[in-house]
Parts: sequence; structure tokens; C-alpha cells
Amino acid sequence: MTDFLRAYSIQQWLESAPQGYLEDTQYGHAAGEKEPAPLMENDALREQAIRSTVQLVVGERCALAASSGLINSAPDEGSKRFLATQTLDEARHVEVFTQRLVDLGVHRTKLEDVIRLHANPNLVKFAELLLEQVDKKDFIAGVVGQNVILEGMAFHVFEMLHAANKDLNPKFGHTLSGTIADERRHVGFGENRIGSWISQRPERKGDIERMQREMSYYMLATFADAFRDAPDQEEVNRLRSNMRRDAGQENPEWGGVDLAASSPEELEGVLADTVLREFKIRLERIGVEYQTPLRP
Amino acid sequence: MKDLALKNDETAAPRARFELDDRGFDEVPKKYRKFYRRWDGPDDTLAPNEVLCPVCKIVIRSHRELLPGDRVYCMACMSRLTVVRGKAGRLEAVLELG
Amino acid sequence: MEEHGPNLHDLDPETFCDYVHSFQFWFDAVQGYLEDRSYGHRSDTPTKELDEKSRDNLITVLCNYCVGETMALEGAGGLIRVAPNRATKIFLSTQAVDEGRHLEILERRLTELGVPRVGEEIERRASPKLFEFHRHLLAYVDAGDWNKAIFAQNVILESMEFASFYTHSVHTLETDPKTHELLVGIIKDERRHIGFGQNELARRIAADASLARELAQVRKDLDPLVFHAFDEVMEKTGAPRDRRTDTGRAYLQAVERLGIE
Repeated sequence: MTDFLRAYSIQQWLESAPQGYLEDTQYGHAAGEKEPAPLMENDALREQAIRSTVQLVVGERCALAASSGLINSAPDEGSKRFLATQTLDEARHVEVFTQRLVDLGVHRTKLEDVIRLHANPNLVKFAELLLEQVDKKDFIAGVVGQNVILEGMAFHVFEMLHAANKDLNPKFGHTLSGTIADERRHVGFGENRIGSWISQRPERKGDIERMQREMSYYMLATFADAFRDAPDQEEVNRLRSNMRRDAGQENPEWGGVDLAASSPEELEGVLADTVLREFKIRLERIGVEYQTPLRP
Repeated sequence: MKDLALKNDETAAPRARFELDDRGFDEVPKKYRKFYRRWDGPDDTLAPNEVLCPVCKIVIRSHRELLPGDRVYCMACMSRLTVVRGKAGRLEAVLELG
Repeated sequence: MEEHGPNLHDLDPETFCDYVHSFQFWFDAVQGYLEDRSYGHRSDTPTKELDEKSRDNLITVLCNYCVGETMALEGAGGLIRVAPNRATKIFLSTQAVDEGRHLEILERRLTELGVPRVGEEIERRASPKLFEFHRHLLAYVDAGDWNKAIFAQNVILESMEFASFYTHSVHTLETDPKTHELLVGIIKDERRHIGFGQNELARRIAADASLARELAQVRKDLDPLVFHAFDEVMEKTGAPRDRRTDTGRAYLQAVERLGIE
């Protein structure tokens, strides 16, 4: 275990992130990269980008509060140091996505109002459930909630967004690829570190399984809101198709579906199924039995 | 080189302007390094465009001659400071409140 | 930032504060002094043999530093949720990783000095007064008392650390280049932390004078602990007595600037 934690040292983090894939970036992308002009010139596209970016800010704020809060209850120095790097990763994500809101035209003084307006209540509930564990200084539940469930969800959401945006909006695509690289470490820590603790505390499984079921429900409800109730969705899809056609780009694919040609229900289905399938695998690896959540 | 737009209120003379060079202060982003240098202790003579940060003891440098009332920033310790004339008659920086 | 013109000091205060509290600033700043370092020093920094007494003293000093860095790591992490705004939260996350780095490189130095079980050695050698300070700090953090926690951590603890690391780094320049290099790198981070604490509290005290009285009580409780612990440390570093007086003076100047008696 000591050797494993050494691989997650701050030195390793410095060499891989700030001095690695983040070198020469500004707010997560290359200097000078801008949001595409057609997006900035069209209110429906810009509004949709603002709404989805707000959810990313809300999720990352939760991750920042959770990872920093867990430092104190971490049982060893190696875990404390890893969580310090994760804290900074999450703060960087909050910063880069908040900066994106500014780049999309939200005035700095209006940021909190815009975030409050668009924050999905189910995502907020999801965050509250996680932060309850952190407040109780329950390290095991906190790490499962944060590094397995929240990060597991974020990882796939970012991947899907990255697939949809990497050609159409390279600036956002680059921002996302840096965050995905960070998330890899976070999910890795959750799985590698938590398995041994759970095997020593089998009596905790029941609580953790209940928490997973509840958090998964709110995650699915968030997806449902995002895909089913998004305003101007058809118009947004048509405009994005036009952008792709004008740039001579092919439709993006992720999870075996054509992201441009699929209906919102199909997209919701593929994202939810992918995340839940991965939850099941990850939870099994750490010795927790996956609980099927209710479908909203 | 003189900056005619900015007058020294104490002497009514134009404020002197200074070209800043990188003195190897590596604690702030590259493009801001020229605004700072290390302090060599009490025998270090400060130029008219320099003032010592009282919080972290780094010399803050400006493109123009500094005068009481000027605001300067210490990026090394992230302080906002105001230039004042100290008891000994030298320029000093004090932490900006409020 | 370039769009604000060539003179940094012409920026409006809000833009300056937003920028220096950002990850982007931290990222660009630490690149300058960490880029060519591994675990806090260059690969070609010579290791000088220490005599047994010096080695033993150094181990005790580093064990005390580790306790200071652990409490700062826990404090900075715990305060993120209490922090009043986004910029402050982001700054504290950079501080948490700075503190984590310090802990890591100091523990590694202990290993290099031949300490087999670092955690146990820290427990055995560190000053009990520091552990007591630790308990006080975490109580403020757990209670969500932003002012007291920032005062204890970023003013009292950081000022004393800054001053003693500086004194120790001067003393090790010739005798122990590796430890010297670690300390110089840590000092560069500490500048940000003490500056943050002093600026944050100076503004709050200016708006509410009663806060200075409240913090004076914290000082009364914590000063004896921190002075006692750092006096022990300075004794072990072998720093001359006049240098130790300088250390205390630097701390006193910091609290005086805030008007806390």
C-alpha cells in the first residue's frame, strides 16, 4: 500500500499534470482558443452551452467541497496528500468551467445568479447526499460517494461531451480532455484505496449500498432533466448539424451511438446505461454490491 | 525617459519612467517577474521606482517613479499596498485595508 | 491579464485579487521554481555528510516541521467549505497542495537521513506544544470559524514557519545544501500563504474593530504554544541566538500590522 501511495505523490502529480498535459494551457486550453463564432452568435446555442456548463460548475463545486473536507478524516498521510492534489484538480475544474461561463458572455457579477438559475435541483440533491457523508467525517462513505460515484459519473459525462465537442469546439474539447485526465487519477484512487478498507469493515457495506442507490437515483433524474426538458433542443441540434456540415465534419460517436442523429431519449439512455454499467463493475471491484436505483 | 502625463505632486516635476528588466525573481508568472526583485537586506538601496513589501520582504518595482499615495501590488504574497512616506523620510508600503 | 496594460500596478484591485487567487496564477508561479526539481531539489544538488549530532538534531527539526505542515494541510483543506467566495476556495486548494508537497518532501528528507518509520519518529520527537496547537486549529476549522482559523493558520503558524524556515535555510546554505534547497522552495510558497492571511484579516478588521479583540484572545491562547515549540526547534537548528530573535520579531511585526495585541 505504501508503494501504491507513493505513485500518487504530489511530485508525481506535478510532473504529470502542471508539468505534463497542462503545460502551456490557459484555463485548460491553448492560449488564444475561443468559443466558435456560430455558437456565440446564436442565442439558443449559447444558452444551451451556458446551461450545461452550469451543471459542470455545480458538480465540480461539490467535488471541491468533498475532496477538501475528506483530507481531515483521511487515515494516513499518503491519502491526505493525494486528496490535496485532488482538491486542487477540482478547484481548477471549478475555475475553468466558471471561466467558460464568462467566455460565453456571462458577466462576472452575474455568475452566481446564473448558476442559481440553471443549477439542476436533482444534481444539488446528489451533492447534498455526498456532503452529508463528508460532514459526518465518514471517510469510507465519502470516498465511495466522491471518487467512485461522483467521479465515475463525471468521467463518462465528460467523455460524452468531449466526443460531441472535440471537433466542433476545440477550445471546450481541450478543456474537457484535461479534466478527463484528472478524473482518471480520482477514480483510480477511489477504487485502489477503498477496497481494502471495505474488506476490513464489512458492516459498512449496507450503508454504502443505500447511499449508492440514492445517489444513482438523483444522477438519473439529473440526466432526465438535461435531456428531456432541455428547451430549444431540436433547434440546437439543427444548428449544431449546420456547424458540422459547414466545417465538413462527420457526426460524432460515443458509446456506439451517433450523437448528432440520436434523439434526446436515446442519448439519455446510452449515458445512463454506460454510467450504471460502470458503477456496477467498479463497485464489484471494491466489494460493494450494486443496487439498482429507481428510474425517475 | 520622462513621462510627461504623470507629474510628481511633491516637486511638480514629471515623474521619471523606468524600463524594467528581469532580475531572476522566479516566484511569479514569467511576464510579471520584472516587477519584482529580491531584497538584499537593510543595506539594499531602493531606486525611486522601488518599494519594499512589508509582508514578505520582496522589492516591488514600477515603470514609474513611486510617490506617496500610489497603489502597488505584491504578487509574491498577493498584497495590495499603498506607498507612504515613512518617519525616516523614505518611501514605504503599507497594507491596504478595506 | 495583458489587456489591462503594461503596468501591473495600474490594475484595478478586484482584477488583481481574482487573478492572484486563481489556479492559473499558482500554476504559472510555481513553474518558475519547481520545474527542474524533484522532491524539492535539483538532481545534482550535493549531499553533504552530517556528523551524528547534527543529523540527530536535523531529524528532530524536520519532525516538528512535518507536524506544522500536516496541520496546515488539514486546516487549508477543511477551510475550503467555510471560505466566503469562489476565489478564496480556489486559493485554499492551492495552499492545500502546497502544504501536501511540503509534507511529502520533508518526509522524504527524513527517509534519506535514515529514518525507517517516519510517522512513528514524528510522534516521538515533535514538540507536544505543536500537537496542542494542532488541536486548537482543528477546533476552529471544525466550528467553521473562518477568522480564528485563518488567524491561527495563515498568520500565526505561517509567519512563524516562514521566519524559522528562513533562519534555518541561511544556516544550512553551506552545511546542508539539500535541506537548504527544500527550505528555500517552501519559503516561496509560504509567501503566498502569509500574504493571504494578512490581507484577508486586515480587510475584515478594518470593517469590524471588535474582531481585533477577538483575535487577541486567540493569540493569547496560542502564542505560548507556538513560541515554545519554535524555540525548541531553533535550538536544534544550531542557529545563533540573535537570529532566533529575528524570527520572533518577524512574527510580532505581522500581528502588529493587523493591530492585534
